[in-house]
Order: sequence, then structure tokens, then C-alpha cells
Amino acid sequence: MRKKTLLKGSIAVSTVAILAAGVLGTPARAADPVTITIWTFGDVIQRQLVQEYKNLHPEITLQIKKSDLDPLNGTNMVTACTSKTGPDIVAVEVQYSGYWRSYPKCFTDLRKMKTSETNVAAGIPAGKTALDFKKNYLPWRWEQGVGYDDSVIGFPTDVGGLEVAYRVDLFKAAGLATERGAVGKLWPTWDKFITTGVKYNSKLSAADKKAGKGFLDNAGTIYAALMNQGTEKYYKNDGTDAGKLTYDTNPQVKKAWDMTIKATEAGIGTRIGQYTSDWNIGMNKGTFATILAPAWMMDYIKQQAPDTAGKWDIADLPGGGGNQGGTQLTVPSYAQHAQEAYDFITWYLAPEQELKVFKTYGLFPAASVLYNDPALLDYKDPFFNNAPVGKIYSEGVLKVKPIFEGKLQRAIDQAIGAGLGRVAAKKMTSVKSWAQVLADIKKVINN
Amino acid sequence: MSQLKVKEGRRKAPLSPWKSANPKKAAKVTKPSEGVAALDHRFGIPMVAPFFVIFLIFGLAPVLYSIYISFYKWDPLGGSTFNGVQNFVTLWGDSDFWLAIRNTFSIWALSTFPQMAMAIGLAAILRSKRLRGASFWRTIFLVPNITSVIAITIVFQQLFGRDFGIINGILGLFGSDHIDFIEGVVPSHIQIAVMITWRWIGYNTLIFLASMLAIPDELYESASVDGATKWQQFIYVTLPQLKNTITFVLVVGTIGGLQVFAEPQQLAADGGSSKQFLTLTLFLYNQAFVNNKYGYAAAIGIAITVIVLIISLINFLITRRISNDGSGR
Repeated sequence: MRKKTLLKGSIAVSTVAILAAGVLGTPARAADPVTITIWTFGDVIQRQLVQEYKNLHPEITLQIKKSDLDPLNGTNMVTACTSKTGPDIVAVEVQYSGYWRSYPKCFTDLRKMKTSETNVAAGIPAGKTALDFKKNYLPWRWEQGVGYDDSVIGFPTDVGGLEVAYRVDLFKAAGLATERGAVGKLWPTWDKFITTGVKYNSKLSAADKKAGKGFLDNAGTIYAALMNQGTEKYYKNDGTDAGKLTYDTNPQVKKAWDMTIKATEAGIGTRIGQYTSDWNIGMNKGTFATILAPAWMMDYIKQQAPDTAGKWDIADLPGGGGNQGGTQLTVPSYAQHAQEAYDFITWYLAPEQELKVFKTYGLFPAASVLYNDPALLDYKDPFFNNAPVGKIYSEGVLKVKPIFEGKLQRAIDQAIGAGLGRVAAKKMTSVKSWAQVLADIKKVINN
Repeated sequence: MSQLKVKEGRRKAPLSPWKSANPKKAAKVTKPSEGVAALDHRFGIPMVAPFFVIFLIFGLAPVLYSIYISFYKWDPLGGSTFNGVQNFVTLWGDSDFWLAIRNTFSIWALSTFPQMAMAIGLAAILRSKRLRGASFWRTIFLVPNITSVIAITIVFQQLFGRDFGIINGILGLFGSDHIDFIEGVVPSHIQIAVMITWRWIGYNTLIFLASMLAIPDELYESASVDGATKWQQFIYVTLPQLKNTITFVLVVGTIGGLQVFAEPQQLAADGGSSKQFLTLTLFLYNQAFVNNKYGYAAAIGIAITVIVLIISLINFLITRRISNDGSGR
């Protein structure tokens, strides 16, 4: 106990010191070196842009950490907030946004921060709060970074718009349409998507079938795609912060479950798990002809299957737009360099930088002001048969409706995913597996 | 006066169960000089203090704290309410807990016994005087042990992949159907056990090797004079002499085996679609960090501790029996 008070005391002292320095420090003094620590994952923080920021601010060092066991920073952040320590910036994946929106106290309220003059030359005006930047971003993505007490806890990096990546050569061999507009018309609905898959599979040779080839990489991915096309997942927005659990009554859940089971039983998926080595190899070998691909997956496909360049194309998702994934950059409440962190975020996630990230890594910008920008709309990707990916994904994400995400969404998603896996592995019938899912979810919510 | 007696007693007692094979020999070795012993009195406590201070802060304090929160519904970020023994009652009735115990022990058995047999075999090869580059082999055996589990998992997923894995590729050559290692109960346990074995076999080999090198050559000489073949020497000379080492490896392996976490977690964070490779520690982790049930997770931690204590007790009893046996010969 005594130690804790001591620690608090020292924080208070250093806060006073920082405040004093801010008030008394003369502006003419050269900037002190500052190290901003960032907890991130995947491609969220790009090396090139980090270098660019270094060139702008030689005094700032960006220390970037990724965790293997906790790739999405779901748990490290709990520790950081509990122990009142932590980094200056944390990338929070949207799977966790429902959880973190319940704990705004763990984050610096970005409405109360103001940009300094440090990035004026780079096009970021001084004295702006988060609310001044809100208009730049897709409204429902912005909301995912707003706490239930209306504080702004994070800026959106990218939006994981979901479309169908398909292999033109394999479609041609199966006698299906190959031009992206016509391909999109093959599957206005999920039912039609399954029909197309069955048709594709029927054209496969016996040897191909034995080798495990199929239409879609994994039928289980249909579930998340369909869920995100609704307006509710497992919670109903009843005006309270917690929301009301509706996982067992929401018709969208049942619909998504049934459609996924239907696709599984029709055998359109190869049952290869995503992000496994089988998946990477299958991508090269043409084991599957389609992937439900969020924008950020384009870069993964390029990295893993470079020899398939030009053979892929992108078509619309059945049933309208879709979304999967996305990240917010947040400043924890115990950040030591909150001001520098805020300045970095406002620069790093400005539309100009998000456009650069999209062109090099395929992370689709959450900055919706870009969606009318010819630089984005005319951008074509040669790897995907010169598909106008900027146009396709921006049209898709504009169709997505905001969803109220509750605190336990991720745990419920996990239970349902396991349930679908049991059916796919033929360990249980759909009815039995669903009963097990409900029992598993009950265990989670009944503490 | 009584203090002196205690000291005398300590000096005569064997240092550890494994070193008590020959009491006469042990007494000869452990005769400290009076000068050093006199320093015990003044510097003993300061010398061991660093360990105990670190242990108190990082060992004992968290344990006591877990016991405390296991009686609560604990949310580190929100409020916490006293829950009595409810967490333990729930745990006892939780089918996932029993499933995790089954999985943990199954993986432990599959990884420990074959590994031990292989490690002894490898140590016998390394001991062979005809082996060239012995120190090279001894060093290389430790490499898996310092490799990151994440990297190991990535490589082994390629070996065990259902569609394009090398193992299924070889099975396919014989016309066998592909095995879905992840989805099956026993196959997934085998995959994890192989990963653990690969990682720890070198370490255990070196321990066995060290113990084999300590076996006096005369034993082998007299055995060969009696006409024992190499195999007979191995069975009747080497193995009995390794008894204590085998116990040691078993104890360490059991404690490690009850803590298997990273391998299953990397294969599937939820322990598989029907929790077929959910281990105790992964169960604990998921309750705390996915379901936010920290009090419940603490209760699981205590349950694991109790299991470890029971097994340690069994180990202790067996060890004592074996070492008593050993001194008789």
C-alpha cells in the first residue's frame, strides 16, 4: 500500500514538473529528445512513414513493440491500465473496441488534447482537438473509438472493407464469368454465392477433388461477413452503456449461423484455416478460387503468393458491403508523452498519410474525405488484374451500418467460431453444436 | 551447544537425495574447512537475502494475492465483489476444467515418456568414444531449447498441415487418408507433444549424458570381462546407474508439463473447436484475458498449484524409495 502511495506521489510530482516546464519553458529552447513508445501489431505502423516522421522530427524516437502472444494488445492494455503505467500509443483492434469503450478511464480523452505547432509545416494546424478531425473519417469507424461517456479514445487507422478476391484463371477454367462486374452479378445474395460455389466445385476433376480443392478457402468466414452486414450483433443499444444482450434472440445471428452451415454442408469451402501454412500454400496452388478479403488482406496475398500476380481480381461481396477488422490508435491515460503522441497520431492518420499507406500496404483509409479523391478512386492494383480497388472498397464500406458492440463481443464471437468449427469438422450436428455454443456463452456471461 | 549439534547434523546429512548413493563417499567430499564454516554465522543471511527478497516480491506476494482474489468476482478495471468459495464450486462443476486436466495429462504423458527413452538413447550415442565431433553434437542439441516457441509452432504447422503438411504428404504416398492433426483429440496431442519433445530433448539428453559420464569405467570393464554385450551393459549397468537422474528429469518434466501453454495457444487460441487441446494454463489464461473472469482464473491457478503439490508429493515418495534402494546396492 505504502509503495502505491509513493508511486502516486512521484507521478504527481512529475506531473507538476511537466506542467511547470510547459509554463516556464522558453519556446526558443531546442526541443528535448523524446521517445514515444508504441504497442502495435501487424502492419498498423508503417516503417516508411516512421522514417518520414523521423525526418520531420529528429528529436523524436518512435519505439515500436509487437507482442507474439498477445497480438492485438487485448491483454497487455489491461495490465497497463491496472498498474497505471504503459506506453504512449496503443493500437487497439476493433474486436476489442466494444470492451475498451466501456473503460474510457484507461485512455486520454482526445477531445481535451490540442495539437501543438510541431506539425504545422506538415499540414496539421495547431490548437485542434479530436472533434476538429472527426469530419475527416467514416462516421461509424469514428464511433468505434468513442467511449460510452462520449470521450474520444482513439483515431481510426484503416477500415477493413470486405469484398471477394477471386482467381480469374480458375473461374475461366470452370466456365464462370470472369469480368468483375459480371462476377459480382453471379452472387447478389449469399444463397447465390453458395450456388455459384457448388457449380464451380462440380467442374473440378476427380483428382482436384481428391487434392482438396474447392471454391472458397473457408466457409466459416461467411459468418463474420454476414454478421457485419446487420445493424446489431450480440447487443442491443438500449441507451445504457452496457447494452442488452441479444445473442440468443437476434435473428441476424441465426441467419448468419444457418447460412454458414448451409455453405459448409454444400462443401464450397476447403476447410483450410486462415493464416495457417496450408492456407499460404493453397493460395499459391489455386486450391481455392475465392477468399472473402478485407482490404488489408490484399497485401498478405501479395506477400504469400507473389507468383499469382495478375491472376486475382476483386468483386463485390454478396448481400452488400462488408467489414472485417480495423484499428484505432489510442493514447493511454498514463502515457508519459501524451502531447507528442497526440501530435504523432494526428499526423500519422491524416488523410494524406492514410492514402500513402493504402497505396503501399493496402490498408484501406478510414479517412472518408478521400473517398471522393481521384487519387484513391483511380488507383488500380496490377496484382489484382488492375481492379480499381480504391473505388470498389470505398463503395463497399459506405454501405456498412454502425453496429453497437458490447463488452463481451469477442468472447461470444470465439464461442460461435468454435461451434462452426465443430460442425465443419463433422464432430457435431448443427443443432447440437449451437446448443453447446449457448452453454459456452452462458458460462462466459454468468460470472 | 545445541547450535553446534545442529551444525554437526547438517554436515553429516546428504546434500540432496541424488547424492546419497554412498554415505561414506559423501561424507568425505563434504567436509568444509572450519574457516569458511565460521563465516556462515555472520554472512549467511546477507548472502541468501537477495534470493529471498526477490522471491518475496515476485514469488510469494503474487501467490498470496491470487489466493485473495480467488474469493472475489474480480475486475481489475471495474469493481470487485466478494464471492466466497463460489469460484471453486463453479470450477468443480465446470466440464472445461476436467477436460483441461485430461488434455494436460495426456500431452504430458505423450511428451515425457517417449522423450525420456529417446534422450537416454541419444545420450548413449553421445557417450560413445567412437563418435567424432562430440562437443559439436552436444552444443547443437541445445539449439531447439533456445528457439522461440512461436517459431517452432510455425515450422511444425508446416510439418503437420492437413493438406500440404510433409507428414500427411508421406502418409499419402502409402495411400493413407490425410490426418487432421488439429481437429482430432489424440492427433492434436501428438502434434503438441512432438513440439515439446523437440524443444526439450536436447536439454534432457545432456543431463543424461552428464550422469552417464559419471559412471565409473570399471563397471563397464568388469561387465565386459564377465562377457556382457554392449546392449547388456546398457541395460544392467547404465540404466540402474541413471535411476536418480531419471527421477529428476521426470520431476522437472512434470512441472513443465503442467504448464504447457504457448504451443496449444499458438495452434488455436481457444484450444480447438471442441477444446480438444485446451490445457490448464491456457484455460486459466482465457478465463482471465478473454472472458475477464480474473477471480475465476485465480481459482484455476490455485487448483493447478494443488495438483502440482500432489504430484510433487508422489514424486517425493518415489524418489525417497529409489534413493533408499540405491544406497542398498
